[in-house]
This record gives sequence, structure tokens and C-alpha cells, in this order.
Amino acid sequence: MAAKSPVKEPPGTSAVNPTTPLAPPPVKPELPSSSEPDVVNVPSYSRWFSFDSISECEVKFLPEFFDSRSPSKNPRVYRYYRDSIVKHYRENPSRKITFTDVRRTLVGDVGSIRRVFDFLETWGLINYFASVKTLKWEDKETKSSAASAESSSALKETSKRLCNGCKTLCTIACFACDKYDLTLCARCYVRGNHRVGVSSSDFRRVEISEEARSDWTEKETLQLLEAIMHFGDDWRKVAQHVSGKSEKDCITHFIKLPFGQEFVCKESDSEDVDNKFFSINNPSDAVSESENVGATSPSKRMRLTPLADASNPIMAQAAFLSALAGVEIAEVAARAAVTTLSDVDDRASKGSLMRNTRQQEAEVASNGDATQNALARASVDASSLIEKEELDVEKAISGIVEVQMKEIQDKIIRFESLDLQMEEEWKQLEQVKNLLFVDQLSVLFHKSNARKNGDRTEENVKTDVS
Amino acid sequence: MKLPATSSSKAPVKFRMPTEDNLVPIRLDIETEGQRYKDAFTWNPSDPDSEVVVFAKRTVRDLKLPPQFITQIAQSIQTQLTEFRSYEGQDMYTAEKIVPIKLDLRVNHTLIKDHFLWDLNNYESDPEEFARTFCNDMGIEDPEVGPAVAFAIREQLYEIAIQSVASAREIKISKKGRRGAEHAISSKGGGNALDLMKLFRYNSSVVRKRKEWYVYEPIVDILSNEEVDALEAREDRNTR
Repeated sequence: MAAKSPVKEPPGTSAVNPTTPLAPPPVKPELPSSSEPDVVNVPSYSRWFSFDSISECEVKFLPEFFDSRSPSKNPRVYRYYRDSIVKHYRENPSRKITFTDVRRTLVGDVGSIRRVFDFLETWGLINYFASVKTLKWEDKETKSSAASAESSSALKETSKRLCNGCKTLCTIACFACDKYDLTLCARCYVRGNHRVGVSSSDFRRVEISEEARSDWTEKETLQLLEAIMHFGDDWRKVAQHVSGKSEKDCITHFIKLPFGQEFVCKESDSEDVDNKFFSINNPSDAVSESENVGATSPSKRMRLTPLADASNPIMAQAAFLSALAGVEIAEVAARAAVTTLSDVDDRASKGSLMRNTRQQEAEVASNGDATQNALARASVDASSLIEKEELDVEKAISGIVEVQMKEIQDKIIRFESLDLQMEEEWKQLEQVKNLLFVDQLSVLFHKSNARKNGDRTEENVKTDVS
Repeated sequence: MKLPATSSSKAPVKFRMPTEDNLVPIRLDIETEGQRYKDAFTWNPSDPDSEVVVFAKRTVRDLKLPPQFITQIAQSIQTQLTEFRSYEGQDMYTAEKIVPIKLDLRVNHTLIKDHFLWDLNNYESDPEEFARTFCNDMGIEDPEVGPAVAFAIREQLYEIAIQSVASAREIKISKKGRRGAEHAISSKGGGNALDLMKLFRYNSSVVRKRKEWYVYEPIVDILSNEEVDALEAREDRNTR
């Protein structure tokens, strides 16, 4: 029986046997390639990827390989798919590889290969350079889905939902059909990837991000803060700890949290000053405003530490904005922000701390590079704030300790007085006992006397009578 | 390869592919508007049906085929899947059957001919693993050969499984009590399978005779471009 080869042939890449393991860093000295073979761009949110291991991220998004439901889908097979797809892409990183290329070279069932491929593509481990185009395409799709969707106000409670169509986690919005009990993500719904008998009107839109957008109760805020203290930068774990909120919600809410009066004052002051500053110097309004946000957001972020580190998309935004606005503007904005911060600090707490930072700033200012200056100042400022906070915390703790000690002392005093009382009562009791004893004795005494007297008087009476 | 099942069960088993994973071989050969699309791959029948359309759209997009192909591909896959599923409820008999599997395929520039024996009763057999090892051992560089080999093996196993379902049905129809059924099985089983008992009698050795070696040897040929073109032209003529 002869198998025929497919007619359409993708442009040939140098063939690599998918089962031979290559060394982890993608260096290919034997293959002639025009671009630098050593540089592979991987987005920062996919830093976890490594050829040697399987990360949690992968286990979460592709559970079929790890739940041992099917005998052939095990981690080894997953690694084989993943490694060969990634290597195939990295042979020629400027070329976008398609799913069909890859599935022809991999031994296995196309459904699971497709899911691994989609996962790698979403996380930017393959076809990374083409992300701009795909984003536009996705935007169009979401717009059209919003236009054609039936909006309904019913909200479901479940937090994690898998799409029946492409078996990915549903994030922003999904469409649920109750008749056949299907759930589709927005993309599958638009593409019409549901079964033949189901029409698109049977679906209703379920917003997942809006579910959790309702108020943050105190309990949830507490949970959020606890989680951040424990897990720090790991927003996934934080989101898990806080019941019912997604990662994005946690991050956005955390940014919005008021962290004490001083910070609110500082923020508003520095923003006002900066706005005035820029209205004088004025490059362009929109840019300056965005720049302001961009410049202050790193310092804002640092103010909110030590509890939370800057999560990468925000830093990326800040970097992007500052890059957009230009080096000089970024420097000026950062300087302005830092000087106002130090001014306000000086007013608020007249400590040698600020003088130290001023000195440090002066030292730092004597260095040459512009952006380095601004960043160094910002970091110095951040460290000074950290110290200040530590001091505050220490004070607070010592205050608490004092109060508690006072309490204990008072209690001791009370107990002592109680003890005294008890002793007195005890003594009284003893005295009364003694008296009673004496009384008893006297009674006995008198009794015996009385009896004798009685006998005598009886005798006397008898003798008298007789 | 994993250990085969040692018992020769003559009881009917529910139909499934006699391999570790229950994957269906799907072959596509679609021609529209002068464009021809041929492909072969393995599919997991427990994937939801929406997967079919997704796959069809993906393939058309990747290969830049005209959009009419989407529905045709989806339909073709769907029909083959439903056919597979129609067999699923039924019984098949799998006695201890060792069947010969022949590989005779051409993938791009590689020509493969091979002939080996496969234990049908071993439900833990894995054509994918076999294909991977084969490519490794023979030093085949073209990564598309592996899946093609696995597919060819799977297709043949599928055919044999279907045949055994058909024969099970026949046996039921012409049932003359249990003994009759067993008798029928043993006679059917000898069809194209080898009877291990006969082979491994005390006076014959397990080692294959030298003159039979060439039959069971794998042959891997790398063809040049002209030969590929010639073969393709011949195949097209044959199929049309």
C-alpha cells in the first residue's frame, strides 16, 4: 500500500531529525544561516521556557499531557512535540512556521500537536516576530464578535473555563450555549467552530473579566495583601489565593490601593508640579501626559514596594513610553518627579535621611549619563523610602510592645491587690475561727461548771428541802 | 515495543484500534478547480467535532488553498470519523494473530520498502514509536518520513481490524453454538496470519532462514529529482 506525498510543499528548511536532542542554547554552528544564529527573541513573559524542564505554565495550559488519562499522552511526548517545534522555528527565526509544516514532521495525532503549537505561538516562543500582524487580526475579530454578539446580563460563577473549540483557557469573554452545554472562546465563536447542529444564535456572551470587576470586599483586599506578602511577584499564585479574581484584576486593584496619606499627597503634589513644569516647557500635551505617567509610574511602582515588584507588562509600557518620548524628555520628567518627591519628603519628615539622599543624589548627579542619572536618583529615592518605612514599622512595633507591656503590668498590679485582699480575708477568717474556738471552749467550760453547779445546787436543794 | 498479551483470547472484544492509542488514520485526496490536495495523518477520535473545522481552516490557511477546500476537507474527515465510530460499538475477534505488515511508500525523496510481522493482539503496540525508531535507525533525515510510516502501519492495522469486525459479524450470523464459533475463528485466523504454534515447533528454530532474509529487510532509497518526477507522473496516470 503506497502512501502518497502531499502536493503542496512548504518552502524547504534544512531537515532536522526531531528525535536527536540538541544542546539547550540555540547555537547551530553547522547550519549556514544569514542572520545571527545565537540571538533568539523570546518575550519576557515566557522566560520560564527551557528545553530541560516542563514548567507549571505548560502543565496548566495543556493538562491533557499530564493527567495520565491517555496512555500515549505523557510528558515525554509533550517534550518531544514542544522541543521539535521550537527547534524547527529557531532554525530560521525570521520565517513564520505554520502548523501544517510542523505536523507533517511530527509523529502523533494532529489534534494534540495543534494544541501544543497554539500554546507555543500564543506565548511567543515561536513566530514571535509576526505578533503585530496577528494582534490586528485578533482586534478585528473581537470587534466583530462584539457587534454580532447577543449581550446578556447573566453571569456565571466559574473562574476557569476551557473552550470546547480550541481547548484553551477562556480569558476575556466566552460564549456559552446551554442547549448543548458548550463553551467557546471568542475566537472560536467568531470562526463558527461549533458543531454542525448548533447555530450562533444559541450562544450567549459571558463576560469573565466583568464577573470579578464588581466591588472588592474587605476580605478580598485582605487576601490580596496577604497573598502579595507571601508570593511577592507571582501574580498567578496571588490570583489563586484571592478567590474569584483574575490576575489582571488583582494587579489593577493593587495599583489603585491607597497606601497611606503621605503617598496620596506626594502623588498629587508631584503630578501638579510636573504638569506645571511641562506646560511651561511644553513639547506636546499628549506626549507629556503620557510621559508623565510613564515617568512617574516607575517611581510609583517603586513606592509600592516592598510588597509588589513591577510586573513586566507595566514596566514594558513605561519603557516603551519613555522610549517613545525621547531620552531628554524622560530625563527631565524623572528629575522633576524625583525633586518634588524629595521636597515633599523633606517637609513631611525632617530627618537626616533625606539629607543623605540629597547627598547621594548630588553624588549621583555628578555622573555623566542622563538616563542613568534619573534612574539612579529614582532608585536612591526608593531606597530612602524603604528605610523610612522600616523605621516607621519599627516604631509602630515598639509602640505596640510598650502598650502590651503596660497591659501586663496593670494586670500584675491588679492581681497583687487581689492577693492582698485575699490574705486579709484569710486573716479575718482565722481570727473569726479563733474566736469561735474560744467561744466553744468557754461554752464547754461553762457547761461543765454549770453541771457541777447544777449538781451542787441540786444537792443543796435536796439538803435544804430535807 | 512493549510486552504482548500472552493469552490468546477467543472472546469478542469491543472494536478499537489494536494499538496503544486509539487513533484513526485519515487520508485526504481532494480535487477542486484544478488543484489537488493529498494528505494523510492520524486523528484522535476523542477530540470534539469542532476540532475538525478548526483543523480544516488551519490547513487551508497554512497552505494558502482556496477556501472551497475548507468544507470539503472537513466533510472528508468527518465521514471517515463517523465510519470509524460506526465500527466502535461492535465486537471483533482477535485471536493470537501475527500479521505481516508491508511498507511501500514514497515520501518526497525517500523510498521505503519494508516487511515485518506485527502482533494484532497486543493492544499496547505503538506505530508511532516504531516509526520513530525506524527513522532513527535508518538515519533518515527527512522528518516527514516518520509520520508517513506510522500512518501506513496504522492504516493497515485499521483495515485488518475492520475485517475482523466483519468476520465477527459473519460468525454471529452463522452461529452454531460456541464450539462452532471457535472452530470458525481458528479457521479464519489462519487466513493471512501465521500460526505461531506451527512455526515454533520443536524441530524448527526461531531464527529465520537465510533465504528469507531479503524479504524482511528494510530498504531505504534516496531518489533524485528526475526519478521523483517520473514516479509522480506514473502515479497520477494510474489514479486517473
